Amino acid sequence: MAAIDTDGNHLRYGEIIELSERIEHLIPPRSLTFILTKNNVGGIAWVMATILSGSVPLILSAHTEPKLLQNLLETYRPQYVCCPADMTFEGSAISESMGYKLISLPNDKAVMNNELSHLLPTSGSTGSPKLVRHKYDNIEAAGLNISTFFELTDADRPLMVLPLHYTMGLSMIFSHFQVGATVLITDRNMTDPIFWKFMKEEKATSFTGVPYSYEILDKMRFMRMKLPDLTLLTQGGGKMPKELNLKFAEYCRDNGKKWIATYGQSEGTARMAWLPPEYAISKMGSIGIAVPNGQLSLRNPDGTFITTPSGSGEMCYAGRNVTMGYARCREDLMLGDERNGFLPTGDLAYRDEDGFYYIQGRMGRFLKIFGNRIGLDECEQIVKGVVTCECACTGNDERLIVYLTDIYETDAAKNSLVEAVHLPANVIEIRIIDSLPKNEAGKILYSNLNNE
Amino acid sequence: MANLEKYNEIFTEVFGVDASALNDSFGKDTVDQWDSVHQLNLVSLLEEAFDIMLDPEDIMGFTSYAAGKEILKNQDVEI
Repeated sequence: MAAIDTDGNHLRYGEIIELSERIEHLIPPRSLTFILTKNNVGGIAWVMATILSGSVPLILSAHTEPKLLQNLLETYRPQYVCCPADMTFEGSAISESMGYKLISLPNDKAVMNNELSHLLPTSGSTGSPKLVRHKYDNIEAAGLNISTFFELTDADRPLMVLPLHYTMGLSMIFSHFQVGATVLITDRNMTDPIFWKFMKEEKATSFTGVPYSYEILDKMRFMRMKLPDLTLLTQGGGKMPKELNLKFAEYCRDNGKKWIATYGQSEGTARMAWLPPEYAISKMGSIGIAVPNGQLSLRNPDGTFITTPSGSGEMCYAGRNVTMGYARCREDLMLGDERNGFLPTGDLAYRDEDGFYYIQGRMGRFLKIFGNRIGLDECEQIVKGVVTCECACTGNDERLIVYLTDIYETDAAKNSLVEAVHLPANVIEIRIIDSLPKNEAGKILYSNLNNE
Repeated sequence: MANLEKYNEIFTEVFGVDASALNDSFGKDTVDQWDSVHQLNLVSLLEEAFDIMLDPEDIMGFTSYAAGKEILKNQDVEI
């Protein structure tokens, strides 16, 4: 069995092959298809079958903002859209299967690079149409690397709450399908009783989450539950608060479970580093070492590599799971591999004497709040669209801080972000300042703005 | 501050709405924004404001303005 979902649907591996053969008959090879997924077996089937059939999917959430979806449709002009059968989407359905329908659009065929396997959005929340271009080799490499360090087998039953269109969610599929495991997928909130029933009744053997998922587990008194089948907890998607990390690491140590922290990015087909469970406590806070078949390194600002055992610099990763590059327009789908297996991550890291890496901060300007990546420059654009005064966005992984020069614009700024970024209003803080600190060239000096 | 005012303030803070928008039908099924992130934010603020500790069942059941009031009653908070 390949997958089971909370609606009680089952998916066999053979059914994915059958669906891919049907897709091959239905649509011309190398067609660009948007797949609007929900976390259910139909979503997994259509994503994997489309890739297998040789067509190229852009994997999106079925709940994508209408404005962003429209922007993506106009930018990339796909020939096909696959979406949940009950979703309203203009156009005639040419096929329906497993709760999804395939719709043909009157767009001409896009020219695509032969290696291109699938596309993922870079930002779910702030509306950028920039995509990450993956190749077939990335899927194989990610599947192999990840299943190796987690020691996955066909007896595994991972519980998947991360969305399919999110790189870490998708990599769970790649790595577990590599070994013939059964993915337990759900689109239920972790605050929903059905989620907990599913986890217990289907005997989940592992759980993968972002820091916020573990905050919820903790809140739901997870450590008091009896879950004998659950033997592996894995975490990615940003740094865990120290106390919470220790709590889970100790809980796992004392209850015969493995706690594995990981590091990854969409640009590296998810995971690039992992902290082996025996170091979960002694090296807590570290992202660990490179995944099997990959290498991590540190670079100075001048581009030279740091060769001493310990040091700090921009962390770089080399391996077959490094993606080809970005797409910003339809013509970019023709582009070949621009990275050749080497990725500067944009994260500043420290390497200790034993070769373990620690993320110190980001070179780029974005936050991670509740597991969502929030682009600060994009937030600024959103606010600037509704206010007449100056604004600057900064913050930390707990709150987004917006500096304004006019107190009367407070509500407009806050409301625009609540609507566009979908954060609870209480994590968006507006601060009023006389004028923004700037350098001689007029660029905002973010380092002079308090972000705590 | 009266408990009801405290309770309302938590909702206006989390959802960024005016207190006049709050009524017993304000909940998961009527408010688009209401997801688990919002729900758990409500729970955290509620626990802090009233110095209580909710059970997992209460956290799962806190799916509307009305349900939250019931939960508080069961915790012996007059509202």
